Amino acid sequence: MQAVQILINALVLGCLYACIAIGFSLVWGVLNVINLIHGSFIVLGAYLAFGLYHALLLSPWYAVVIAAPLFFVFGYLLQRLLLNRVITAPVLVTLTLTFGLDLILNNAMIYFFTADYRKLILSPPLGSVSLFHVVVPVDRLIATVSALALTGLLYLLLRRSRIGRAIVAVRLDRDAAVLMGVDVKQVYAIAFGLGAALAGCAGVLMALIFPISPLTSSAYLGKAFVVCVLGGLGSVSGALAGGVLLALVEGIGATFVGPSLATTLSFVLLIVFLIARPQGLVGRKGFE
Amino acid sequence: MTDSLILELKGLRAGYGEIQVLWGIDLAAHRGEITALVGSNGAGKTTLMRALSGLIPIQGGHYISEGRDLTDDSAAEILAHGIVHVPEGRRLFGAMSVEDNLLMGAYARKARSAELRRDLDRVYATFPKLRERRSQAAATLSGGEQQMCAIGRGLMSAPRLLMIDELSLGLSPLLVEQLVAALKSLNAGGMSILLIEQDVTIALDLCHRAFVMDMGRVVRSGAGEELLADPVIRDAYLGVLQE
Repeated sequence: MQAVQILINALVLGCLYACIAIGFSLVWGVLNVINLIHGSFIVLGAYLAFGLYHALLLSPWYAVVIAAPLFFVFGYLLQRLLLNRVITAPVLVTLTLTFGLDLILNNAMIYFFTADYRKLILSPPLGSVSLFHVVVPVDRLIATVSALALTGLLYLLLRRSRIGRAIVAVRLDRDAAVLMGVDVKQVYAIAFGLGAALAGCAGVLMALIFPISPLTSSAYLGKAFVVCVLGGLGSVSGALAGGVLLALVEGIGATFVGPSLATTLSFVLLIVFLIARPQGLVGRKGFE
Repeated sequence: MTDSLILELKGLRAGYGEIQVLWGIDLAAHRGEITALVGSNGAGKTTLMRALSGLIPIQGGHYISEGRDLTDDSAAEILAHGIVHVPEGRRLFGAMSVEDNLLMGAYARKARSAELRRDLDRVYATFPKLRERRSQAAATLSGGEQQMCAIGRGLMSAPRLLMIDELSLGLSPLLVEQLVAALKSLNAGGMSILLIEQDVTIALDLCHRAFVMDMGRVVRSGAGEELLADPVIRDAYLGVLQE
């Protein structure tokens, strides 16, 4: 029974991890930018959920609807006004820029919200469901279903829409996309906006489950990075596979080795993957 | 009347950064004709096409099409004018389906779905193989089918002038024959075509007019059959053994 519980926990958490990573993966895959602000976007999303709940009693699943456009515009402008200026420079330059932006955003959050840990506590609490002795908290379940829905939406957008095709085309062959009349800088801005929107929404969902503090941003960033490497960059299926694998390793690690070593274990796995299977579980693909 | 020229180049210069490749290209291609560019490797044919589609900047001279000056226009503006480039090596979006590749060709047109459907059907009528394979990833197509897909993608951009870089490279004679027939029928329908073709016999046979390039310059031009009969051309590019 314990094994089933671990498995269910891993599936639930894995979908959340996928949601954390998917925007990071999109930006990395399409723009070739390792976006170090991603973790702070997630934390900012969590604060947004916290604020909306305390100010307006707005539940996080509604806050997602507000977060998505706000973060999209934020990300879009960031790319248009700043990142596009250095996008053709070597990857270290964009890395440094996002590092700097992350410092600004993260410290701004510490300044305005303090570094204290907060927790969004729904009242009344949602409790949990249990089925055959497997227990799943309802808030986690809601977060997971929402995360899956967001991931599915991105998949549909990339597969079925005109702008989605353009994003994939730019990722696959930038020059050929230019020949199709694609405005590459615009596509970059939209992709970055989408990445930010997904990060913000993931943050809103995280607020349901985890404590909120600017200090958690690096943990989210680390998870996004690990999920991308484990699953394989550039596909929704890769992010899901990587997310579930990471959650599984952490779950098993926490149960048998102890929670303090679970993260260590996941980074050991990261190194193993980088050596043995750098393309990840699903492999690198055009975004699909 | 210069407006009947789909392509009018005067002293066109271009290259890659510090390296100049084209040293003043003069060329005139007529509307409704097939124009061929021939010449050995490194003559600058592909560079010329890349400059004409706006992938690399034009450094000097004039680039005019049907009376409109395109010299300083961006790739998107050139495409909007109707000059469409089917690049060397096809450059399909390999992980995307054949139909999505074709739809990417129509990306800049912002056409309605009924119009897109009609144009897709037209491409599928020209290349029936593509209809069979429309939901397959483009990377899984054979070389010939990929070339069909690349040309089909070009057609989806609604070209006035279709520029094809290397039609036959790496393809079997039978497939080349099919592609040549397809180009002939497109041209019979009124489409202007600019063709780079390493097989000079095919190129000169197919085209109305050809321009021979060497070292980044146009060194000769004339009607296809005229050049085909020219002993100097035969000697230099056809590899015909002299008895």
